[in-house]
Amino acid sequence: MASIIDIKEECALQVRNFDFTYKGASAPSLKKVSMPIAKHSVTALIGPSGCGKTTLLRSFNRMHDLYPGNKYEGEIEFEGRNILDPKEDLIHLRTKIGMIFQKPTAFPMSIYDNVAYGMRLQGIKNKTELDGRVEKALQDAAIWKEVSDRLKHDANGLSGGQQQRLCIARAIAVEPEVLLFDEPTSALDPISTQGIEKLVIELKERVSIIIVTHNMQQAARVSDYTGFMYLGDLVELGHTEELFVTPKEKLTQEYITGKFG
Amino acid sequence: MTAVQKRIIINRLALAFSTLSAIIALAFLFWILGVLVMKGMSALNWNIFIYEGSPPGYAESGLKHALVGQLILVSLATVIGVPLGIMAGTYLSEYGKNSKLAHTIRDISDIMMSAPSIVIGAFVYAVVVMPMGHFSAWAGAIALAIIMIPVILRTTDDMLQLVPGTLREAAFALGAPKYKVIIDVVYRGAKAGILTGVLLGIARVGGETAPLLFTSFNDNFFTTDLNEAMPSLTVTMFNYAISPYDDWQQLGWAAAFILSMFILGLNIIGRLILLAGKRK
Repeated sequence: MASIIDIKEECALQVRNFDFTYKGASAPSLKKVSMPIAKHSVTALIGPSGCGKTTLLRSFNRMHDLYPGNKYEGEIEFEGRNILDPKEDLIHLRTKIGMIFQKPTAFPMSIYDNVAYGMRLQGIKNKTELDGRVEKALQDAAIWKEVSDRLKHDANGLSGGQQQRLCIARAIAVEPEVLLFDEPTSALDPISTQGIEKLVIELKERVSIIIVTHNMQQAARVSDYTGFMYLGDLVELGHTEELFVTPKEKLTQEYITGKFG
Repeated sequence: MTAVQKRIIINRLALAFSTLSAIIALAFLFWILGVLVMKGMSALNWNIFIYEGSPPGYAESGLKHALVGQLILVSLATVIGVPLGIMAGTYLSEYGKNSKLAHTIRDISDIMMSAPSIVIGAFVYAVVVMPMGHFSAWAGAIALAIIMIPVILRTTDDMLQLVPGTLREAAFALGAPKYKVIIDVVYRGAKAGILTGVLLGIARVGGETAPLLFTSFNDNFFTTDLNEAMPSLTVTMFNYAISPYDDWQQLGWAAAFILSMFILGLNIIGRLILLAGKRK
């Protein structure tokens, strides 16, 4: 019954028959989800609370593995392999698929060290290289002008919106292929939200982006594709404009017109 | 009298009684501190820091032996107890979490925190002093470390758990291995709290007498040999205070004053660090 669009362009990720069950739960939270994620575009996941959109997002970098007992079934293909394979190197995977969280997560260290953290983990020690890449990442995250004169200051002194852009800089500094955004603006004011949305659109030139959002207008503004999820099912995936203007599923239409949710 | 008037009267009575109780409790504290400061200050002089213990009646007698002994014992206990306490606390918060083993360790640690310190002294006497055949600074330091561990373990556990889970997830999401997440992010976030726990742990053992009575024992002479009995401020204070000699009793007051100021200072610094951490 689900209406899933067939994406002609190259895909960054392919989800096939994916089931996810939380530890101790009797029923799976995601049921037979199949969807393509187009490369160098923004895919938004929308749906009411508890529909499984964040659960799906956190499966792409195997974040659920931090809490033992959760179960994956099916397949998520990335760079020609199934990343749900128990033998998957999670450290490598997470450098390729980065994540931005709902609340800004600036580490308790300086602005510079925050951005350099991921690169240092990969063993980059050369000061000139680090300096260059930190500056580039901060510029790409549109925060360089605000922080260039206080790189050694504590990152927790920044505003929420600045911290969120710092987290984006930190994530893109390691040059991932995919970036996962988990409601990245729900803790921010409208001006900061606008800044982050602009950034998301700019970044898709280089990375494939999946964004979970509660805000349907946000999905409409930033995404190329939108998936509507409900009770653990992917109900519909389509071009964003088509999904919002002429949804194929009745449930999607009811949700986007505000009949429930 | 209306019901409201009655309630107002009861309210005032309760307020008056609880205020009075608080004043009485505090009065004793200030009484003790007042006597300590008056008697201790008048007994203080430079000789105390220059000379070691001597038989009663000698002018050139001091507390150098006990001051240095106290520092050695507490430092040694800190070196043994702090790493163990922090590592055990790290296990509980980052690895054990809500497992059965972790809960058992937490419960045992809480019981240990309220165990009578003389029992720990007796335990160390049986497992360290007896096999060695004599009292030693090592035995005293081990006894103090055992008392210190549960305090540091608990604060470390609590403080690490206060670090938001999303911060850990963010570090994992950048491809950090677990030990890196703990060292780079979790410890950094809980730095002030852990330091406070360490200072409070040191303050907790700094004033202990009972566990030293039959471990490091006491001595009236200056020594830095860890394999020998070692004088401490607390046991020296105890011995001098119950002696019938006036000059020894004076030294006892001085020892009490110095020790109290040291512990008070540690407590105040610990709290200030915690406050500064919270304000940020």
